Amino acid sequence: MADYDVIVIGAGNGGLMAAARLAKKGVRVLVLERHNIPGGCATSFCRGRFEFEVALHQLSGLGTEAYQGPLWRMLSSVDVIDKLDFVTMNDLYRLQLSGSDLDITLRPDRNQLVSDLQQAFPHEKEAIQKYIDFSYAYFMEAVSAYYMQDPDAGPEKYPLYFKYALKSAQAVLDEYFTDPRLKFAISPYWSYIGLPPRLMSFHDLTSVIVGYCEFKPTHIKGGSQALSNAVADTILQHGGTIRYSDGVRKILVREGAVQGVITEKGEEITSRVVISNASKISTFVDMMDPEHVPAEVSREMRQTTIAQGAFTLYMGLDCPPETVDIRETTNFVFGIDDYDRSYQQMKNLEITRDDMLLMSCYNLIDPGFSPEGTSQVAVVTLKYGDTWLQVPPAQYVAKKYECADAILTRLAEFYPHLRDHIEEIEIATPITSMRYLGTQKGSIYAFDHLIKDSDLFIRNQTHIKGLHGVGGWFGMIGFQPTLTSGVVAAKTVIKELN
Amino acid sequence: MKQEVIEQLEGYGDIVREIEIARKYGRDFTGEKGSVKSFIDRLHPKQIAMRVSEIIDETVSTRTFRLVGTRGPLPPFQAGQYVSVSVEVDRIKTSRAYSIASAPCETGYFDLTVRRMEKGLVSNFLLDRIEVGDSLVCSGPKGTFHHNPIIHDDTLVLLAGGSGITPLMSMIRDTVARGLNRTLYLLYGNRSVDDIIFHEELLQIADRHPNFHYLPVVEHPAADYQGKTGYITADLIRETVGEISGKSFFICGPQAMYNFCLPELKKLNVPGRKIRKEMFGTPINIWEYPGWPAGVKPDNPCRISVNGSHGLESVSAQSILVTLEKNGLVIPSTCRSGKCSMCRVKILSGSVFQPQGTPVRKSDRQFGYVHACVSYPLEDLEILI
Repeated sequence: MADYDVIVIGAGNGGLMAAARLAKKGVRVLVLERHNIPGGCATSFCRGRFEFEVALHQLSGLGTEAYQGPLWRMLSSVDVIDKLDFVTMNDLYRLQLSGSDLDITLRPDRNQLVSDLQQAFPHEKEAIQKYIDFSYAYFMEAVSAYYMQDPDAGPEKYPLYFKYALKSAQAVLDEYFTDPRLKFAISPYWSYIGLPPRLMSFHDLTSVIVGYCEFKPTHIKGGSQALSNAVADTILQHGGTIRYSDGVRKILVREGAVQGVITEKGEEITSRVVISNASKISTFVDMMDPEHVPAEVSREMRQTTIAQGAFTLYMGLDCPPETVDIRETTNFVFGIDDYDRSYQQMKNLEITRDDMLLMSCYNLIDPGFSPEGTSQVAVVTLKYGDTWLQVPPAQYVAKKYECADAILTRLAEFYPHLRDHIEEIEIATPITSMRYLGTQKGSIYAFDHLIKDSDLFIRNQTHIKGLHGVGGWFGMIGFQPTLTSGVVAAKTVIKELN
Repeated sequence: MKQEVIEQLEGYGDIVREIEIARKYGRDFTGEKGSVKSFIDRLHPKQIAMRVSEIIDETVSTRTFRLVGTRGPLPPFQAGQYVSVSVEVDRIKTSRAYSIASAPCETGYFDLTVRRMEKGLVSNFLLDRIEVGDSLVCSGPKGTFHHNPIIHDDTLVLLAGGSGITPLMSMIRDTVARGLNRTLYLLYGNRSVDDIIFHEELLQIADRHPNFHYLPVVEHPAADYQGKTGYITADLIRETVGEISGKSFFICGPQAMYNFCLPELKKLNVPGRKIRKEMFGTPINIWEYPGWPAGVKPDNPCRISVNGSHGLESVSAQSILVTLEKNGLVIPSTCRSGKCSMCRVKILSGSVFQPQGTPVRKSDRQFGYVHACVSYPLEDLEILI
């Protein structure tokens, strides 16, 4: 019977990083991946002459060689920096609102951000400066108190953090601003978390904005698949094993301690440590007998709800982006200026003017991202999977086309020539994510990340000896957080093994 | 952070109360057990257990195998898609992709129409050994060779060669069965009249449906043949379909047909995005492909070492995938024409030939991954599967 020091379930960001760190320390590690390629969400697929980026929009926390962010150091530690080419993005986003003159482009730079906002909203000039200053001050406190875990943390030392850490984004925006359009223009990144400002934490929203201003949003040449392949390469170079097209059917537990796994092909492999990069529900409900599931885990899961999947159009155009008037890499297109309604719309199947649309085109900063004279455009909106699960199989494809058509009609208001240049199009729904990621309801954002569900209240602990969770289901979502979760798990495991 | 520190966060008590309520009314997700697989199996099953319910003789060399599901309803598909049929022939486990020729609205069965091929391991196995009542396993329907209303016109020009008719037949049947508002032109090339698959049915459909135009083109006609002869040329296409703009082109047939017809479409100024071509099967005579190194003979012997242990005998003209299968090593494969990437393997040392235009991810190229079905050893290889 095969035996490993550590078995990693799933080669997503968290699983790959954990395995690479462990392999580098000489730990005998086995990664079991049900798909035939590493990455999970961090992947790509080919259609015609295009290779489409699946999930990565704006990588956070990387910085540059000269000004290294936390992610730079992590990627260095697994030897992938030299294997990858990065491109710094020069925009946060362009935001366009139908039927209005609101069309604003913001840059990832503190002073530029302030002045661009002030120019668009001169009546809130002072408030804008105060808000951005405050956001930075808050974030600096959060770095020390929360991320760096200052042992002396308390309300006296970090007054802003202790006052605002649990506040909603809306509460803080309301405290600083009166113009609803300004609040609207400054917070479309709520869609990166999945909850509107009223429901998401100020901490999460401001971390995204300040993080991007500090370390800039980054694009990876070759897309996120290049990152996944690079990390997988490090695992192999250090003697780790990655087995593709074989997932885990069961995690073996005895007396509250992990014993190993049984693979989908039926092989039993022993190990005292298992790191799960599968969904938390798959880990505890599908892969584990109910009697082994710790009561605390069941209690915690009861407070959570499954987040959105995505409805995405991956398009290859037979022209450069300029031909269809795409000017920025990241574009939010809204039909209404009511984020609560846009959020509610994520529970409906149909595409209406209420849906938020996020359109990305990386050719603007990476001309080689698709063949010369072409461009690649992705348009995404978030949808809870429930309504897609109710579509009868025989109607599924027609519904996909109908929703894609509605999105293109929406975009035609701002990008009238886009539709005429589509050479390839692939449409992904929450069902597609369910198929390839194996997540319940096709969620790409794991659980809803309400304030009550943050890691301040749900600690990443499995309460089973030797079992660790990585990825968005066990913590925060997004590339930087999930990559970080792998590093954290590897550190814990190394301590355990020693 | 420590619990006593967290408790000092402003609003902590409110959140704790919210958690209590959420836990009271929440659920523990035990009902989700198996939900992902059971749902996905309805749309995208990895495998479908099938039984041959009928075998229909189409031509001297072609038969249609009508397959019914033995475990519940078949998944839906789009006209033009294929399934990969897994077989064991002479103790070799392998698979082949076959387009579904029946219409998607025929939900009770998939028709796979198979033509005998010279040295065709699987086609000959199916034609000679499979009988009504036999079981077969196939993949869920796959592929992107289908009408996509977002980018394709309602007028389609279908160019078929030989058994390349099968995915297009599904589109034709779909159009007439559902009364779709589409106009179809089929230009169908064959060596002789006797080789034309579905000839009678196509004539009948053309007779009954004014939106379907059928033009068989025969390469070697009998002396008294009245129809079109020769190849599917630009002139013939223009003569048949008239105006080129506002039409989408679907092409499926042997490699020789692409070599001939694609330049003809270029002559007609058909934009690339209006042409959809199905890669139909593994390349034949790979050493005749552009880019094959001049000095390498097809029977050049190579050894392929797999995961550091097996040293498998092979020759340059034999793909890595076939070598693995002949030695009992089964890796996932679906399209077997280089597109789907299921048979992705890593080359640790040695060089391979891959036909131009094989869609391999950029970073897969960087890290030495190839699609085993269209990768041919030019020397001894070490690979990782």
